[in-house]
Amino acid sequence: MKKISLVHLKSNHKGKVSEITGGAGLQNRLMSMGLYIGKEITKLSYVGLRGPVVIRVGRSVLALGHGMAAKIIVEAE
Amino acid sequence: MIRKIYLIGNPNVGKSVVFSRLTDVHAISSNYPGTTIEFIKGYLSLRGEKIEVVDLPGTYSLEPNSSAEKVAVSLLKEHPKDEIAVINIIDSTNLERNLLLTLQLVEEGFPTIACLNMCDDAVHRGVHIDTKKLEEILHIPVISTCAVTGVGIKLLIDRIKEAAPVQIDKLPHEERWKEIGLIIEQVQHLEHRHHSLREMLEDASVRPLTGFIMAAGVIYVSFKIVRFIGEFIINKITDPFFYGTIQPLLEKLTLHWQEKSFLFHLLIGNLVNGKIDFKQSLGILTTAPYIEFGMVLPYVISFYFVLSLLEDIGYLPRLAILLDNLLHRLGLHGYAIIPVLLGFGCNVPGILSTRVLESKRERFIASTIISIGVPCVPLQAMIVGLLGVFGGFYVGGVYLVLFLIILVLGLILNRLLPGYSPEFILEIPPYRFPPLTILARKLYFRVKGFLIEAVPIVLIGVLVINILLYLKLFDIVTGVFAPVIHDLFGLPKDAIVALAIGFLRKDVAVGMLAPLGLSAKQLFIAVTLLAISFPCIATFIVLWKELGVKDLIKSTLIMITISIIVGTVLNFVVLR
Repeated sequence: MKKISLVHLKSNHKGKVSEITGGAGLQNRLMSMGLYIGKEITKLSYVGLRGPVVIRVGRSVLALGHGMAAKIIVEAE
Repeated sequence: MIRKIYLIGNPNVGKSVVFSRLTDVHAISSNYPGTTIEFIKGYLSLRGEKIEVVDLPGTYSLEPNSSAEKVAVSLLKEHPKDEIAVINIIDSTNLERNLLLTLQLVEEGFPTIACLNMCDDAVHRGVHIDTKKLEEILHIPVISTCAVTGVGIKLLIDRIKEAAPVQIDKLPHEERWKEIGLIIEQVQHLEHRHHSLREMLEDASVRPLTGFIMAAGVIYVSFKIVRFIGEFIINKITDPFFYGTIQPLLEKLTLHWQEKSFLFHLLIGNLVNGKIDFKQSLGILTTAPYIEFGMVLPYVISFYFVLSLLEDIGYLPRLAILLDNLLHRLGLHGYAIIPVLLGFGCNVPGILSTRVLESKRERFIASTIISIGVPCVPLQAMIVGLLGVFGGFYVGGVYLVLFLIILVLGLILNRLLPGYSPEFILEIPPYRFPPLTILARKLYFRVKGFLIEAVPIVLIGVLVINILLYLKLFDIVTGVFAPVIHDLFGLPKDAIVALAIGFLRKDVAVGMLAPLGLSAKQLFIAVTLLAISFPCIATFIVLWKELGVKDLIKSTLIMITISIIVGTVLNFVVLR
């Protein structure tokens, strides 16, 4: 298993969040939306050209700006 | 003793729909997070007593992360806990994520009652929730509802009185999520479903290739529908009514009136070739109602019909994903597309909804872009009605110019303003197909809102303008500004009156241009200037409230500068 950012995870692949490198503000915000360390996610798409990354977390679909997605490190399956 | 009821829940779980059901006050609801940016109040009769109900903006947790969330949390703490009841609205299709807020509410000692909304959609998606079991675990009343159809609302009202504080341990978020996972295992049963067509469309709309193709299709079809419905109403309903019924009636009424009398001038205006011309006469009984009901209203109806449909289906957040990249270069992020689209209806709600954006910088850029480059429906309807006569090429040209202005202005503002454009994080709702009654109700309230706002201003405006024209008071102003208007923009000096009236209402202002006999080029320049120059008074007041005086002045200076540059360039370079 390798650790990569959400940007680099392939579309339609699953991963487990292992690290969120942003500040406490970002961590809290993601936490309140159900995205926290240990949580399993599926990447749905990446719009490309530094566009947003779309992931599925539980039953919700979240779009994250490129910079934010780069701060979320996952263990790819 | 309950004196106040608060509705709280995650964004986009249908709080406003529940609120409308409880209070009969219409609150605008859509299928995207952040429709309610401020709280809305209404009243519910409970055992003969009127109790205030407050619909709060959506929030994911009690530790607020955005300005709308701050509003929600601070209001909740305004009253002593034993005098309130909190109805926690939950999206049944996404119970797990919603429970964090529920448990926080209980932990903080709020008398809470949980409302599992959208239960019909949950069943559709194969999500089954054991509400009895959930009630046992949480020790609070749990009611499942479907607010769009009204199912469960009566039971919800009956059980409000059962809301009472419950003792539970405080836990940090990580522990809480683990606990929630355990609760979910006990109460939720997922039926395995194959990917439905709806889910395939949901996925396709956020993938790059299929997403952009779908977006182009949606935008094209939306335009077509807006035009089709608008033209249909004009050709089949309003024009026959004005020309077939109103015109003969007015002609009979005024048969013996003196054409040059003051009253005739006010009510009917000037005759064109001895006849009333609804577009050019400029009377209170002729042009004023024709502009509002015969030219603008049909497009207000068709525009809001299509916008409301896109909102309720849940397409707009997907557009936000696709446009995020472009909007980043303008100092915004994808979600700014929502205020911009609302601005195409009317700049006022557009600018108000810039509150969904996080920073002051973004709100300034978005508000300035909207008030300069986004023409409202009344203005667009008039542009189509008057400039369209010369050919669609000119109408398209106006949009192109406005689009270029937005791009250049955004790029420059992003460069010059200190700070950076923040990243967005956005929940993408599933597609939903609300019943037509909900859509019709929303359309009715939006159209009614337009009429209440527009009609008095138009009538009073045309009255005042006619008096000023009759007394020839505009001549002083025209004299002063004639050099700019004539030498720079190539417009006749009478056009200054129309441009000045743009401050009152843009649709009337374009109407004022009609009798001047402008060439296509002149009309093109004049309507473009009307679109980008000073916003109408309603927009101006909202800008003032939202941005503060300093930024309002900044924004206004930008507008004036751009107007002069664009007017001159169009006159001397582009349309030479």
